[in-house]
Amino acid sequence: MVMEKLGGSLQDALKKLVKSGRIDEHTVNEVVKDIQRAMLQADVNVKLVMTMSNHIKERAMKEDVPSGMNPREHVIRIVYQELINIIGKGTDIPLKPQKIMMIGLQGSGKTTTTSKLARYFQRKGLRPAVICADTFRPGAYQQLKTLCGKLNVTFYGEEGNPDAVGIVERGLKEVEKYDVIIIDTAGRHSLEKDLIEEMEQIHAIAHPDYKLLVLDGAIGQQASEQARAFNDSIGISGVVISKLDGTAKGGGAISAVSETNSSIAFIGVGETPEDLEKFESDRFISKLLGMGDIQGLIEKA
Amino acid sequence: AKALVFEREFILDEKDLEEPLWDLQIALLESDIALTVAEAITEEVKSELVGSRRKIGKDTTDIVEQALRNALYNVMSANIFDLDDYVRNARKPVHMVFVGINGTGKTTSIAKTAKRFKDMGYSVVLAAGDTFRAGAIDQLQIHGDRVGVKVIRHQEGGDPAAVVYDAIQYAKAHRADIVLSDTAGRMHTNLNLMEQLKKVCRVSTPDLIIFVDEAVAGNDAVERAAQFNEAVPINGSILTKTDADAKGGAAISIAYITGKPILFLGMGQGYDDLQKFDPKWFVDQIFE
Ligand SMILES: Nc1nc2c(ncn2[C@@H]2O[C@H](COP(=O)(O)OP(=O)(O)OP(=O)(O)O)[C@@H](O)[C@H]2O)c(=O)[nH]1
Ligand SMILES: Nc1nc2c(ncn2[C@@H]2O[C@H](COP(=O)(O)OP(=O)(O)OP(=O)(O)O)[C@@H](O)[C@H]2O)c(=O)[nH]1
Ligand SMILES: [Mg+2]
Ligand SMILES: [Mg+2]
Repeated sequence: MVMEKLGGSLQDALKKLVKSGRIDEHTVNEVVKDIQRAMLQADVNVKLVMTMSNHIKERAMKEDVPSGMNPREHVIRIVYQELINIIGKGTDIPLKPQKIMMIGLQGSGKTTTTSKLARYFQRKGLRPAVICADTFRPGAYQQLKTLCGKLNVTFYGEEGNPDAVGIVERGLKEVEKYDVIIIDTAGRHSLEKDLIEEMEQIHAIAHPDYKLLVLDGAIGQQASEQARAFNDSIGISGVVISKLDGTAKGGGAISAVSETNSSIAFIGVGETPEDLEKFESDRFISKLLGMGDIQGLIEKA
Repeated sequence: AKALVFEREFILDEKDLEEPLWDLQIALLESDIALTVAEAITEEVKSELVGSRRKIGKDTTDIVEQALRNALYNVMSANIFDLDDYVRNARKPVHMVFVGINGTGKTTSIAKTAKRFKDMGYSVVLAAGDTFRAGAIDQLQIHGDRVGVKVIRHQEGGDPAAVVYDAIQYAKAHRADIVLSDTAGRMHTNLNLMEQLKKVCRVSTPDLIIFVDEAVAGNDAVERAAQFNEAVPINGSILTKTDADAKGGAAISIAYITGKPILFLGMGQGYDDLQKFDPKWFVDQIFE
């Protein structure tokens, strides 16, 4: 089908550069166009892609090809640097006592990621406790309670009580003596004023050290706008990209971190508590662009 | 372009179209229509327009936009299917299975659909066929209680096909009109879970399989719609979370790739936030 035919296009375009052996405008244009397509297909914000590709084009033409590099490697290196400028190295969540608040759109993976993080800290020898501040979604309490039960993680929640702020206040006292306290909140989007306000109140009560925005790996052009809204509201300290075990490329997260000047902490690669990985920018970029040799290339430079 | 055919007409060539088509393609991408689909549709429009005669004085951009609107409208209104007519005329109980990726809004859409049919005077039974995800059965039960419809459930970890079977038996015994079966969210790439879904659909022989995806999804919508449609041929889709300010171009990707209609839009978390899909309205708002 359409897709299959286009899949390897970036690789092909880059091969053209190898063949041509020198940097000329026509070839660069062609390669940049294919990089553009790869980023658009990965759901990077359209405007961001356009700005970036212009920049890449300029640099590829202007800068000297480093010795020992062919033109293909030269362009990839520039693409990589531009992406790394945005993504950075990733947020490192320290292994120490702290409070973490989970936020994000409906169904993005907050509750699942809450249990994954609890598991992560548990394995590192810290004692986690989880508070359920989602009083909105039916079954949210049972979902988190069940997940925590399976992990033997302390859980605080008040079934049927709609007062999320009160629950957090009481919950924090209740689990005070635990090392890492993770607060799961209801899903919401930027236009749901009441829910955004509720999030601000929870934030004001909880004083979390980290506010992690959980973004679905398949989110499209809404990523930047939603991330900006969450950031404006309570500030985000890092992003978790969920559901990267399918075919989604997670480019929305690039738009989000670019918009909010934050960075990515973890990725979710499945539904079980073990399916959490530390974010690695090189691997992420390789997958995003559909090529495997970024790491080696960068070391060569 | 300037070649005058005869008075007051000219022929559109590729060069005339390049810029307006590119601009429109960007607009499509910003609406979250998948790149491959946006390209395919603009390509169709291009081949339709190149060589055609136009009145002098008509703005090429307007011509291209109109052609593109028509093309999108055609995608969205192909194989239109009126669910209400179908349900009215079908043998009861009508059985519908809801399928899709994790967290897109299947369970919530079932609750909304149940409320809708109940308001129309039908009796509805829900099958808690997501026996996998923590809290999924409770979630559906709470929705069922609030909407006032029966929920058939087994234990967490149980066989989804068995739950669905029981729900259908219950509906037959109680002369219920409609059975709506929930299924666990799953990745289209997870072979085991896709096999399990095929099994549920094989043994329960649903009348309709409804694919649920969300308006905030980007390019991946194409991939998963294609693969779900291949695994368990779907009859139509629901696009949720359109209230999140998303243009919902995913609906176009899905309709284009599956050739199946969009039935409803989910427009919020309330039970009444379900709107019948209107192709014209939808295409117009893409160009807003
Ligand atoms: N395959 C896969 N599924 C995931 C991943 N993370 C979460 N999920 C699934 O996605 C669905 C939604 O996850 P939740 O954790 O309930 O999402 P949420 O953000 O808490 O949802 P709300 O509370 O309704 O806003 C569930 O079916 C999860 O099992 C992941 O990394 N991979
Ligand atoms: N804003 C908004 N939220 C929605 C809409 N539809 C569903 N949701 C929310 O999205 C989240 C996930 O919905 P579910 O119905 O649990 O999704 P699901 O597909 O059943 O999820 P899994 O069973 O985990 O795969 C919940 O918080 C819902 O309230 C909608 O149209 N608009
Ligand atoms: Mg949740
Ligand atoms: Mg569900």
